Amino acid sequence: MNALSLYQLVAFGLLGVGIFGLLARRSLVGMLISVELMLNGAGLAVVAAGQLTPMPDALAQSTTLFVMGLAAAESTLVLAIVYVVRGRFGSASADAVSELKG
Amino acid sequence: MKEFVVNASFALYALITLGGAVWAVTAESLVRALLGLTISLMGVAALYVLIAAPFVALMQILIYVGAVVVLIFFAIMLTRAQAEAEEARPGDRGRLLRSGAVGLAVAGLLAAACLKHGPALVGTAAEVSPAQLGETFLGQYLLGFEVISVVLFAAMAGAVLLAFERRKGA
Repeated sequence: MNALSLYQLVAFGLLGVGIFGLLARRSLVGMLISVELMLNGAGLAVVAAGQLTPMPDALAQSTTLFVMGLAAAESTLVLAIVYVVRGRFGSASADAVSELKG
Repeated sequence: MKEFVVNASFALYALITLGGAVWAVTAESLVRALLGLTISLMGVAALYVLIAAPFVALMQILIYVGAVVVLIFFAIMLTRAQAEAEEARPGDRGRLLRSGAVGLAVAGLLAAACLKHGPALVGTAAEVSPAQLGETFLGQYLLGFEVISVVLFAAMAGAVLLAFERRKGA
């Protein structure tokens, strides 16, 4: 097994754990934590692929920096949304935000 | 000897990363979950250093551990999510099993594909200087660089707007 496969296995581990957390958690903040884990796995896989294959290295690293910027923007918005949900539904749990029947 | 050190540190960092991740999704208390996330993020930063990308590792610590984790901590405090701990309910076991199956299926499928059709490797990983990264951002990918500034601004303006609207209504 080569180095790239090892790095990608770690990244897939983060992805799998993140998906598990996203589906299993009841609170919105817990789901946000899982999403951050998945984004980290993506960044790790991209940088490893850039460093260990003939692809341009700077491209892969700047892609990961873009992903980090997007993650910061995303968590800012999710913080505001969780705050509003808490004010409107009285709880920051995903089960509280189900007004439709079904 | 050198190879052994590299292999051992890779194993250690991978263990820290995955162990922190598992703690982050299984801990009942959200503050502990956040601590698990922080450990996992630091492990990923160490993996970046190991693969000769120290600038990305520093940015990882600066942006994720410095900003995103603090933001999530604010989310926990502002919404008092900590007080409503996740109590176990009757249907929880099935839910956990289903979630685990989905995560394992997606990650396993991708891992199998990657292991089967892996690309060719170069010998060693070369370090990229921050100057080169700056040239990438301000040269060929200038549009993306500007657009991400707009995205960040829009996200922050939206966050402020959302939070203010609630205060006006209350």
